[in-house]
Amino acid sequence: MGFRIEAGLADEILRELKKSYQIYAPKRFPGQGRFAETDLIRYDEVSALSEIVFDEKSDYPAKEVITPIQQAIFYFTEEEYRASRGKSKPILLFARPCDINAQRVQAKIYAGNGGYEDLYYTRMRERVKFVLMECPGGDDTCFCASMGTNRTDDYGMAVRPDGAGGLLAEVRDEELLPYFSQAPAADFTPAFVTENETAVTPPEIPDKETLLKLKAHPVWQEFNGRCISCGACTLACSTCTCFTTRDVVYGDNPEVGERRRVSASCQVEGFSDMAGGHSFRPTAGDRMRYKILHKFHDYKARFGDMHMCVGCGRCTSRCPAYISVTATVAKVNAAVAEIRGALGQ
Amino acid sequence: MNHDINIKKLRLNCFRQSKEDGKFMLQMRVPGGFVEAKYLSMIRHISETWGDGNFHFGTRQTFDICGIPYENIPAVNAYLKDYIEEVDEQLCQVNMDQVAGVPAEWDRRGGYPTIGARNISACIGDYHCICGNINTFALARRLEKLIFPSHYHIKINISGCPNDCNKAHLCDFGIIGCAKIDYHPERCIGCGLCAKMCEHGATRVLSLNEKNGKIDKDPCCCVGCGECVKACPAGAWTRNPKQFYKVILGGRTGRQTPRTGKMFLNWATEDVIAGVLGNWQKFSAWVMDYKPEYLHGGHLIDRAGYKKFKEIILEGVELNPECLVAEDIFWHETEYRSNFNVKPLSAHHTAGPQPEGTHAH
Repeated sequence: MGFRIEAGLADEILRELKKSYQIYAPKRFPGQGRFAETDLIRYDEVSALSEIVFDEKSDYPAKEVITPIQQAIFYFTEEEYRASRGKSKPILLFARPCDINAQRVQAKIYAGNGGYEDLYYTRMRERVKFVLMECPGGDDTCFCASMGTNRTDDYGMAVRPDGAGGLLAEVRDEELLPYFSQAPAADFTPAFVTENETAVTPPEIPDKETLLKLKAHPVWQEFNGRCISCGACTLACSTCTCFTTRDVVYGDNPEVGERRRVSASCQVEGFSDMAGGHSFRPTAGDRMRYKILHKFHDYKARFGDMHMCVGCGRCTSRCPAYISVTATVAKVNAAVAEIRGALGQ
Repeated sequence: MNHDINIKKLRLNCFRQSKEDGKFMLQMRVPGGFVEAKYLSMIRHISETWGDGNFHFGTRQTFDICGIPYENIPAVNAYLKDYIEEVDEQLCQVNMDQVAGVPAEWDRRGGYPTIGARNISACIGDYHCICGNINTFALARRLEKLIFPSHYHIKINISGCPNDCNKAHLCDFGIIGCAKIDYHPERCIGCGLCAKMCEHGATRVLSLNEKNGKIDKDPCCCVGCGECVKACPAGAWTRNPKQFYKVILGGRTGRQTPRTGKMFLNWATEDVIAGVLGNWQKFSAWVMDYKPEYLHGGHLIDRAGYKKFKEIILEGVELNPECLVAEDIFWHETEYRSNFNVKPLSAHHTAGPQPEGTHAH
């Protein structure tokens, strides 16, 4: 069902929805950007339509709602422990197609990998209904069309701002429909981006020999001098799932406390350190290679269906060293072509 | 050449005597060192029409046009009308028809009325710089009208962040933009990059707490630079939207007792800065017994003593709750001549109202 919802009515509907749902959307935090007097756009609970940022891509992804940067996973007292309970109120999560498609990737890693389902992911994901934010076209860091993540039908409802403070909405979820009884019907189905300003061709790596030669290729060395290993790209990434655990004791008694799950980054030095001091990826170039190949080769080699990267471009936007993921993939493609040429492929 | 020129009067008019006979250098105010590029054509016109065809960026960010023969000065001053009206009157909302708060009609074709209050210099601040915490130009423009026109001397340098590229430590009244930083521990991944950056480039107030994977901070010594905000990959440190300033007082260069300034105010708001500078004319007038002479601002503080300065300069200023004020300041001067200050009592300078018939040195 399609509806036209005036600004006032939209806020009324939001108020009603908030009685039964937590509503998360990209929100502007004035002055909280990396540089003075710049804003930060990230996900948070919203109460009014005007709080939701439609026209700009958020700096941080929608995944923060489902896999928060930090969460308690269990509490312990001496030899007893119990898992954190989590909340039960369902969530309406406003997201663009890239962010929604990213959940296919996160679900694969948390709940479709090695025959084990991650309780903390699954129980949160089950609470979420997506509200598709029709993408107005993204920016020049976006390349969803190249990654096949420009479209989605995983949404309970879809919205487009009408330019007058209200919305056009398509409501597909039966449980959401009653909230729209006051809104006049209108023809609306969301449009999807069909091409981006920037296009990416993921590298074709046909065999292990090429892969090993690519691993040793000098293309990665550039990043030893450019990447500062801060991890901003992975925090901004719609799909990255890596976390570490932290035990926090509450006071001076080490037997009472909680275990937390905290986001980790493969780009931060020390991520691959092992007991005994061995490190698999000691240089920034090694770590960049690991990330790029995971997003544009390894994940698909393991799971088959799609690449891990959804082309949201946030890693490029957030990189303080101006490293572009699309330019990097282009350089990798050139390296692969060189290797395949030398191998006579 | 046979000249009869009142060079002191010309100096007040912002024309500086040259080693070249009969020539002068114009110093044009550029508040914050920032104006539209269109004014470069005016600089060029003045220089090529009346000067020697060159210009110099003055050390206080003035446009300095040298080689102007004395007889050209009236034409230059007439030409300056538009520039002074646009930059000082309109952009900075300066009341040109007063000097240090006393009504005095400005001769619009007579050039600059005073040289005492020097051009307010500024780094580029957060207009451009990734380190800047404040808009230095906006602040310079707000303060210009408080100090100019005035025969009382003051040098104000504004730096957008505690890196102090614009040397707030080396002027009478140095202003440094500082940020109070909010921590959002729920966004912190415990990577420790902020602590590394703080140690590398600031005051080493952050440390990674290995017990909880979060950051401990020693708030007393945070210099308010914002390096942690810049470093954090997760947005766990953000600048508090309220903007703050340090004031570094009494720095100077010079032939006698150069010294770096010391902190007078910390975590003051812009309104407090404006309030304090609003008292500058009153303080200067009091020290010099209401008889302005050509004397650098820092020396006025010396003559009055810091505590008297503090008393007058804070009069009627409502300090924001975060603001800290130096109880005392102990400058460390370079005395080119040892025991410079030890001399016969009769040679001492005075400050404040003097008996009729006497005059401060």
